[in-house]
Parts: sequence; C-alpha cells; structure tokens
Amino acid sequence: MTNNGFHHGNAAGMRIHVLPTKAFKTFAISLYAGVPLDEDTVTPTALVPFVLRRGTATYPETTQFRERLEELYGAGFGFDVYKRGDYQIVQFRMDTINDSFVQSKESLLAESFAFLGDVLTQPLLEDGSFRPSYVATERETVRKKLEAIVNDKARYAAERCIEEMCRFEPYRLHPLGQRADLEGITPENLYQSYKSWLDGAILDLYVVGDTTPEEVEKLVKRHFGGDKSDTGAYSSKFTPVAVNEVRTIEEKLDVNQGKLNMGLRTSITYKDDTYATALMYNGIFGGYPHSKLFVNVREKESLAYYASSRYDGHKGIGTIQSGIEAKNYGKAVDIIRKQLDEMKAGNISDLELSQTKAMIRNLLSEIQDSAFEMISFDFNRQISGKDRSTLELIEQVEAIGAEEVKAAADTFQLDTIYFLTGQKEE
Amino acid sequence: MEKIHYERLQETLYHEVMDNGLQVYVLPKPDFLKTYATFATKFGSVDNHFRVADGEETQVPDGIAHFLEHKMFEEPEGDIFATFASNGASANAFTSFDQTVYLFSATENIETNLSTLVDFVQNPYFTDENVEKEKGIIGQEINMYADNPDWRVYFGLIEAMYAKHPVHIDIAGTIESIDTITKETLYTCYHSFYHPSNMLLFVVGGVEPEKVFSLIRANQGKKSYQKQGEIKRIFEEEPKEVAKKRLESKLAVSMPKIMFGFKEKEEGLTGEAAVRRDLTTKLMLDLLLGSSTALYQNLYDADLISDSFGHEFNSSPQYAFSAIGGDTKDPDLLLQRIKEEVNLLLESGFAEKDFERARKKKIGGYLRMLNSPESIAHEFTRYQFRGGDLFEVLPVYESITLDEVNKRLQDHVDWEQLAVSLVVSP
Repeated sequence: MTNNGFHHGNAAGMRIHVLPTKAFKTFAISLYAGVPLDEDTVTPTALVPFVLRRGTATYPETTQFRERLEELYGAGFGFDVYKRGDYQIVQFRMDTINDSFVQSKESLLAESFAFLGDVLTQPLLEDGSFRPSYVATERETVRKKLEAIVNDKARYAAERCIEEMCRFEPYRLHPLGQRADLEGITPENLYQSYKSWLDGAILDLYVVGDTTPEEVEKLVKRHFGGDKSDTGAYSSKFTPVAVNEVRTIEEKLDVNQGKLNMGLRTSITYKDDTYATALMYNGIFGGYPHSKLFVNVREKESLAYYASSRYDGHKGIGTIQSGIEAKNYGKAVDIIRKQLDEMKAGNISDLELSQTKAMIRNLLSEIQDSAFEMISFDFNRQISGKDRSTLELIEQVEAIGAEEVKAAADTFQLDTIYFLTGQKEE
Repeated sequence: MEKIHYERLQETLYHEVMDNGLQVYVLPKPDFLKTYATFATKFGSVDNHFRVADGEETQVPDGIAHFLEHKMFEEPEGDIFATFASNGASANAFTSFDQTVYLFSATENIETNLSTLVDFVQNPYFTDENVEKEKGIIGQEINMYADNPDWRVYFGLIEAMYAKHPVHIDIAGTIESIDTITKETLYTCYHSFYHPSNMLLFVVGGVEPEKVFSLIRANQGKKSYQKQGEIKRIFEEEPKEVAKKRLESKLAVSMPKIMFGFKEKEEGLTGEAAVRRDLTTKLMLDLLLGSSTALYQNLYDADLISDSFGHEFNSSPQYAFSAIGGDTKDPDLLLQRIKEEVNLLLESGFAEKDFERARKKKIGGYLRMLNSPESIAHEFTRYQFRGGDLFEVLPVYESITLDEVNKRLQDHVDWEQLAVSLVVSP
C-alpha cells in the first residue's frame, strides 16, 4: 500500500491498484495503456480503442454492445487518448452502480470486469482480423475529429502553439495521430498494430469502490487472462530543452476574437523535489483568478475575458492562453511579458504566496472526494516513478517562500508566441 | 430545522427557511473533505420585463442578469476572488435562462467562506467607472461565443423557435445592448431579484447542518430586509408555432452543424407534473435517438452522424423544447432519414424490453450523478425553483409506464413544430 491509500499488486501482466471505500455510489474503474509517442505508431494506436468500442466476441454488434451497458444500469463506459510526457496513453473508464442501490440479479462489478476484459482482449474478429466495416467507419471518425479541432479556436490555438514549440520532438504529434496515415490503415495491419500495442503497452488497472484487492485480483485473472510476465514500467528519463530565442508565429483564420498563446520551457518536472516550487510559480503567475495574469490582463486593462497559465509537470512546459482583440496584440504581449519579468525578479508578495498556497492546498485536498481524481493522481506516480502523496505535496508547498519561487521562475524560459488572428486587417 | 431522510439513496437532507424568506438546504456528505455551496437567485436572462408588487413596470437591457453576475464580484475593498483565495476557496458563478448562481468549493475555513459567499452577493457595489470597465471584458466574452459554432447552432435553434419569448436572446446580450447598462439599471435588477425570498442557499459536503444553519441565521439576522411583494414577470404572448422553420448561420467549420427540435405546445407546467414530463421526454428521446438504438447506428454507419450527435430537453413554465443534433456532412439527408425512421416508430411505438433497458440506464445515470456535489447542488436548485424535488426522482422513474412514453412520443414529435438551425462554412 502506498501513502495514497491504494493497494498495489500484479495480475495478468498488469499492475493492479485498488482503493476500498464506501464513500461513493459507484465502482470507478480505469485502465491505462501507455506506449512511447512515436510517429510510426501514433495513428494506429489512436484508432485501436475506436474499433474496440464497436464490438466484442460476446457482443459483436455495436447496438448489442451498448445495450449491454444499459442493462448494467447504464454503466458509464468511455475512453480517451492523450499525451503524458512523451507517452501516448489510452485510458478506458467504467463507472458502475454499486449493486446495493438497485435490485440487480448479477454482480455489477463482476459484469463490468467481464465487459472491460472483453473490450481489451476479445475484440470481434472476422477471418482473423478486425471487421472491415468497423475499421472503415472509425477511421472516418478519427479523421473527422482531427479536422474538427479547428472549430474550437481556443483549443486549436493551444495545440498549434505546442506543435510549433515542440516541432523537433515526438510531443509535436497529436494524440489522435496524423490524418495522412489513416489512409494506409487496413483491418489486417490494424489488427497487427493492436496485438503489438497490447503486448508492448504498460498496463495499469485501477478500481475505487466498495471492494477488496483480493476480489479485484480474482476478477482480473478471470476476465483479462493476459500471460505477460513482465508488467513493464514508464521511463522517467527527461532531457530539458534549451531555449535560444523566442519564436513568434502568426496565423490567420476567420475569427472574431484573436487567440494569444505562449509556450515556456522549464527543467522542473513531476519527479523533482522542486516540483512544488513550479506549482507555486504557476499559481502566482496565472493559475487562478487572484494571479498576476488575471489581475493585470483582465481586471486592470479589460483586455480579455480569460487570461491564464498552466504547468505540465510531465513534459516540463508552461503555457499561457488568452483571447483578445487583434488590435491589442502588442499591448497584451507587453503586459504578459512584464508579469514574467516580475516573477523572475522575485516581485512576489506575502499575500500572493499565502493565497496561492491556500488554493493549491484546496485543489489537492479535494482530490480525495472524487474516485477518478484519486486515480489520476496516483497514475502520476506510475508515469513519473515518484511516490508522493497529496499530503506530502501540500507540506512541500507550505514550506515555499518567495526565494524558492524566484528560483523556479529562473527555470521557466519563454520559447514560443503564437497568435491566431482574423483575416481582415484592422 | 427540518430533516428528510431518503433511505434508498442513503442521503439525509436538512432544510430551514430564514425569517427573511431565504431557503437554506444542507446535505451532509460525512466521507467528503470538501464543501460545495451555491447561492442562487431566480433571475436569469429571460427576466427582462417585470414588476415587483405594486411597483412600476420595468424593462431592462438584454444581458443584464449576466452583467450583474460579473459586477457582484467587485466590492469596495477589491475583487472578492482575492478574499476567497486567502481562505483556500475556489469561487465562480454562472447565469442561465432563469437563474444566476454564485458558488465556491473549499476544504477549509468553511464558515468564513460561507459568510463571504452570502455577504458579497448581499452587498452590491456598482460605480459608473467599474460598470464601464466591465463592458470591455464582457465584450470579449461575447466575441468568444460568437466564434463558437456549438453555441451558435444551439442559440440559432432557440431563435428559430421563439418569436417573442426572451429565451431566444443570448444570455450575455450583445455588444450594443450591454453598452446601455448603467449602475442604475443594475441596482434596479438587484433590488428586484436579490431579495432573500427569491433565493436559495445549498450546502453539500463535510459539514454539520446545525452549524451551517446557526451561522446563516446569525448572518441574516444582522441584515434588515423589508418584506418584498411578489415579482411579476411579464412575457408577451408567444405564438404556438415556431418563428422560423430554418435558420442558417455562417462560420468556418470542418463540417456543417445541425441542431433541430420540437417546440412544445403545452405550457404552464410546474412542480411534479413538470418533473414527470421532463423525465418522460428525456427517456423517450433516448429510446428514439440514443446511442444504442438501431436508428443511431444506421445513421452512424451511413456517415451521417458522428460521436457528437446527441439530444436534450430544456423546459420552464413558459417554454419547452427538444434540441437534437451534431456534426453532419449532409443536414438535409440526415433530417430526411430521421423523419422516415421516426414516422415508423410513431406508428409502432416502443417495445417493452427497450423501454425497461432505457429506464435502467436513466436510473443508473441518476445515481451516478449523486457522486458529484456540484451536480447535486445545481440540479437540486434547478428542481426547487420549479417546484420539484431532485431526491424524489427515483420513484418517478419507477412509475413511468411504456404507455406514457409512447404518448409523449406522439405529443412531442409533431413535425409542424419542428425548427432547424444550421452552421455552415461561408
């Protein structure tokens, strides 16, 4: 057991993490499958879960598959594909009602495991590979999702900024893959990709709810039946990227509001002892409504409705995002850079420190009230190799003064400025 | 203090009405560290024409409820976000068609944060200067939504359906309408709608009910409120038929977006009758177009809908409509196919086994919702403002019959009442 309350074990080639609790009305189940982000595999890996959710050997038709979930009192089932550091993660989630609230003839936890086990290991096969019509429609679905990114301008600008900033790294890749690669995917080669993905992926299975590690282990062995002996582990290797000069990129689209995004590099990552100082840096700079960005860009100058920053501790990057009028670009950039300079100069008040500490403390404490939040927090441990509870992290945050934040600020270097603006010249 | 125990849900709710009319509800969640509180007024974007008791009839600019929400956060001593931050609370607010909700989430200093929430909402501070300043910020918020195709297609549908009722006016108003807002019009709205008797405080989480009630009792006891007469909302008569059959807006999108729905003919439902109609309609729409239906799957396989396809039902005593849609490459073909298939179902009605499964799914979804303090607070308030009870939903679901759902299908799906909204690339 780690200090996050999870019991850890291994079964069927997976790492199993169980948190017994009666605090929720459901069993929360998460299965993470991680592989290194790679140009050659990113697209088929992204497509695999889309095909898996169409049908299994037991429920071959998609309507049967979905009806089964409804019979399990509308068990929540979903998946996500995203990046964590230089890994591509496929996450399956199930959220099933605890039987004690309904009159169910079957054990809903056991049936959920049977279902999820089938999704992962018993896909529908025809002539030894995936059903061609499923591959064809899901290929279209992924293509449409990639094309639809541009519909949400804030998200599009954020992703373009990262793509430009990380253009020489695997991290430039979109987690859903590359449109051009979809063409070449066939039911046969996708089935081969699926097999090597399943064989090579690092698998972590989480359960939070009214159960025991023993019960979960039994269910995993019965329903997943993998025979991998080595569960594998994420590599925490991290090479900081040096910034030589700030790159500015401007792109034109038909928009009412300009989107200003910036990317920063830092050498501090999740596994470092100084991780808490980077959290504090981001909180004081732009993480909250009391932060420098919100106060100066929005409240003082009325330039924007939103102006905030984020810190990604698995990749060692910071981002800034804001929506402004195109004619205010120069002014907004100046104000934001001024705030970055203030951070580097250590111009941080006691009030900013205490407010930011209180906000981070709250954020970390709230994690225990959500099953899926607890799961994602513990997954940080798997992917970084650093075992640090929320309580320990809170203690580390509490001990930080302005000097430590200033030291963190020295590691954050502005790398890229990206501006999405309207096509009409002002 | 009134105590209501819901045995099957394993929840206990506490309730008290303050002397000034404020409704206070507390739902303790003993396993939770966090407390989530909402302070809501029955004042939304549709309340733009009203009279209080024998007072004058007043008409106010579009978007004023939302503008007022923004301005409430400013106090003589500064931004209230800073006070919340000092006490580790994450605060926010939102405005909908018929309510404005202020909220915080915190794991410590709960009593202080509750006082801050109640005090700042009960202490308006508007100046000519701070009202002018806000126009720039909200202007950017309006521009942000103007670029959002999902918002545009949704509002386009309401605009197509409603000719007179203010539900068709964008919640934030327009750049022009907010320009006419002054501190005087804000005070008029404030004094009309922020009387305690028009408001509801809901607290959920790791709290002791008696402590919350005595705190609020003392807090309200210190403030003097004159008894307020009834608020009369004035609405022009809305024709039964839709205002426009079809409305198209232009915005750069990767694929056209469609949203269509039926304008309800029967109005004036409140309390249990309204809850029952809502739940029955949602169940019916799920049976008709949910992701496990043959219709959905056929449309998906024909490449006419994507994962974005969904449906909802929105209602109040003066308006009610369904909204169905998503991304499609061919809106007209999609509509034609849906019409053909739905007409067959109008003849045959739904099957008993499908109905039972859909009902199970709804019950599961409802129980899962009760894991989330945020959803409980929002949904409870929404139900309460309409005279319903969120915690009595389970028996309603269990008593709905197949005949009722089939009848709802006949009543709601009336092609004469259909309106269609589209967003297509210029």
